[in-house]
Amino acid sequence: MIGKADSCGLIWDFAVPGSLSSSQRWVLSAMQSWGPELVTMLWRILGNEQDVCDAYQNTFLKLAHFEGGRKPEHIKAYVFRSAANVAISMLRRRITERKNLSELSAAGNNIKSPISELDSRYLQESLRCNIARLPEHLRSVVTLHDLAELSYVQVGKMLGITAATARVYRCKAIQLLAVWMNRKE
Amino acid sequence: MKTKKANTQCKNIKTWLYDAVTSRFGLNADWVQNHIVNCPRCQRRLASAGKVHLALAIVKSQTHSLNLLMRANTKTIDVLKHSLRYCPKARKLKKMLPEPKLFERCGKYKHSLANTAACIAILLLMKTGVFSSMDKFQSEGQKVVKQYYASHLGQELTDEIFSA
Repeated sequence: MIGKADSCGLIWDFAVPGSLSSSQRWVLSAMQSWGPELVTMLWRILGNEQDVCDAYQNTFLKLAHFEGGRKPEHIKAYVFRSAANVAISMLRRRITERKNLSELSAAGNNIKSPISELDSRYLQESLRCNIARLPEHLRSVVTLHDLAELSYVQVGKMLGITAATARVYRCKAIQLLAVWMNRKE
Repeated sequence: MKTKKANTQCKNIKTWLYDAVTSRFGLNADWVQNHIVNCPRCQRRLASAGKVHLALAIVKSQTHSLNLLMRANTKTIDVLKHSLRYCPKARKLKKMLPEPKLFERCGKYKHSLANTAACIAILLLMKTGVFSSMDKFQSEGQKVVKQYYASHLGQELTDEIFSA
C-alpha cells in the first residue's frame, strides 16, 4: 500500500503544473478543519482503521485533483460527500468479497439465532450492509446526519435540499432500514 | 422589514404547529400508547425501528484508536506534492490528535457557570429591588414629614422649608 501511495505521490508531483503549487494550501486547511469529523464519519461507516486511512487518503487526493487542482466552491460539502461515497464503495466491495467467501466455505448458513440478533457486532454489520443498499438520496442523509452528526440544516445545504426534506428522507431511510434489518433471510 | 417580520411569524407558527402535532400524534401521546399496547403490527414496527436506533447507537459508541487521525493525515500528506508535504502546516497535521470541541470542553463547567449566572441574576434583582424601594421609602417619608410640618407650622412655612 505504501508503495502504491508513493507511486501516486510521484504521479501527482509530475502531473501538477508549477503555477498551481502555491495555491493548494487549502487542501491542508480543509484537512485541519474537517479531518477529525471526517475520520469519525469514516470510522462509523467502515469500522476498520486501515480502511478509514485509505478512504481518507482517497478523499483528499480527489480534492487535490478536482478539476486540475482548482478549489471547489463548497469544500466542506465536497469533502464530506466524496468521503461518504468512497467509504460506501469500499463497504460494498467488502460485502461482496465476504459473500463470495461465505458461499465458497459453507454454502450459506443463514439461520439467525435470537442471540446473534442482539449481538452488537452482528447489528453493526447488518446496519452497514443495509446502509450501503439504500438509494443514494436517503443514504447521503443517513451518513451525514447520523454518522457525521451534522444538523439537518447543514445536511440540506450540502445536498441542495431543504432541512425539512432532509428530515423526511431520514425518516424514510430509517423505515427502510427497519424493514431490511428484520427481514428473515 | 415586513418580509422579515412575516418570516419570523412563519417560523414561530411552524414551531407551534410542530409542538402541537408532536404532543397530539407523538409516540408519547396517550392514544398512541394505548393503540400500540393492543396492536401487534405497530409493536413489530416499533421494535424494528428500535433495532435500527440501537444499531446506530452501537456504531456511534465504538471508539477508534487515538492516533487514527494522525495516521490518516500522515498517509494522505505523504502522497501530496512536495511543496505541501514539507510545509509547516503539514508537519503540524502529522502530529494532530482529535480534540474535543469548545462546547464539549466547556461542558464540564456548565453547572458552575449556570450557578454563577443564577447568583449574578439574583444579586442584580436584589440590587434593583433594594434601590427602587429605597427611593420609594425616601419619597414617602418626605411626604409624611411634610404633612406633619404642615399640620403644626402651617402650609406657607412648610413650603419654605422644603423648597430650600
